[in-house]
Amino acid sequence: MSTAVEVEYSTGELMAAVMARHLRPGEVAIMGAVSALPQAACRLAQLTSAPGLWFIAGGSGAVNPHLDPLVASSCDERLLDADAVMTLPDVILVEGRGDLIDVFFAGGLQIDAHGNCNLGPVGPWRHPTLRGPGGVGLPFVSRAGRVVIYSMSHDRRTFVEHVDFVSGPGFAAGSVALHGGGPALIVTPLCTMDFDSETHLARLATLHPGVTLAQVLESTGFAPIVPPKLETTPVPTPDQLAILRGLDPSGLLRGGA
Amino acid sequence: MFLSSAEAIERLVPQGTGLLAVGGMHMHNNPMELVRELVRRRRGVRRLLTSPSASLAADLLIGAGLVDEVATAYIGFEHLGLAPAYRRAAESAAINVVELCEAAIVHGLYAGAGGLPFIALPAGLELSDVSSANPEHFHTITDPFTQERVLVAAPLRPDVAVIHAIAADERGNVFFAGAHFTDRLMAMAAKTVIVQVERMAEAGEIAAQPAESVLPGFLVTAVVVAPRGCLPTASHGAYGYDEPGLRAYLKLARTAEGFTEYVQVNGMAPAEVTA
Repeated sequence: MSTAVEVEYSTGELMAAVMARHLRPGEVAIMGAVSALPQAACRLAQLTSAPGLWFIAGGSGAVNPHLDPLVASSCDERLLDADAVMTLPDVILVEGRGDLIDVFFAGGLQIDAHGNCNLGPVGPWRHPTLRGPGGVGLPFVSRAGRVVIYSMSHDRRTFVEHVDFVSGPGFAAGSVALHGGGPALIVTPLCTMDFDSETHLARLATLHPGVTLAQVLESTGFAPIVPPKLETTPVPTPDQLAILRGLDPSGLLRGGA
Repeated sequence: MFLSSAEAIERLVPQGTGLLAVGGMHMHNNPMELVRELVRRRRGVRRLLTSPSASLAADLLIGAGLVDEVATAYIGFEHLGLAPAYRRAAESAAINVVELCEAAIVHGLYAGAGGLPFIALPAGLELSDVSSANPEHFHTITDPFTQERVLVAAPLRPDVAVIHAIAADERGNVFFAGAHFTDRLMAMAAKTVIVQVERMAEAGEIAAQPAESVLPGFLVTAVVVAPRGCLPTASHGAYGYDEPGLRAYLKLARTAEGFTEYVQVNGMAPAEVTA
């Protein structure tokens, strides 16, 4: 999983650095289940480019958990070592306000060209071929300022033309009924994508070092917009890596879980 | 009243209970001793209501064939994997899934606790397929204040809630450690509440930290003392989750035969009924 450039880094560390750069000082971010990666990204952002960022770590209700250390489960008691702790019902209440959450980290077993995410049934709803766990709070992405979608799988099973079930709504084809800004960024082990402001379709933004355009297109079940010029995703700096490794001694971002 | 887990399930969870709510979040604070007793006694429930993110407790009840319908927003094991028994039951259509989201669960329990006839949900939630998948739980009505269309959902009033906390005193006042997730809401909304605790509260313990005593005894039907009774899930304030134990379940429960073996090896066969 590691690529030799200047410093060795893992795919997880690269993705965390990408997500950290997307966050701005003073914003409020939230994430759900299996969220060690965006939690690490938020902590990294707080310590580098986005001081004063707030983040709410999933079902724990922890606000700005100190991640000492980063943990795998979003409800781990160690997350409560934090700047503040909200009760879970209070977190779910204020997610509905619509003017509070700037960035919602989402994901799915299926993700489509409009940024819809599915964590529920794959295949027919009443007789699914794969019963996903369920979307938890994903319907609330429609109330957030913008949505960052992350996935540790980049293949045609995950990135599909249309999701079979909308857990987290993206840009509906042909219309925009979202209250927030909708999906803004997709981060995968191969690339990053953003969304075209006219068509609301996913558009390739950067390729990770060593990844080819053909490889991304082969691994994606929809045809992303390909801009004339594709940049390479910036690799994590030694300072960023030092911070991430300080948070993550057990190597969750390096394939340790 | 303090009961053994056997007495609590025998007396307070009738066969065919309409709506059973089970507390905890992910692999934390699952009231496993009570759940194991439900399996041992083969107590079937018409509908299981999970917290916004359920794990082993729900998967075990579903795998044991005790649940006709499950109302849930998530059953899984986070980084450890998908829920094997839930997958098997849903993919073979052996169980009806009432797909909910965390808002429908939490606001629905709030409505149940407060006697609200239904709940109105924030605009935008109608864009997910959750509401269209469950026409009997969600409706769209006209907001009498704005005349706009608004998504509403049913209140949730569990017949029985089973939850976990760190300790309780002799009057049933319940004392939490760490996060209490949606467990208090479940208790406030339910008609019968069974609380599994690690231990009896020590004398003066609740008086010393009244802010942690957030579920008063008049809302609690019975307390069951079950030290280390959440394992292999975590008990906030007492112990973390047993990852090898959870992985062992996930490995065995991949097949129906393996699931049966897990039930037998872990003392949940009907022959283990004691009281």
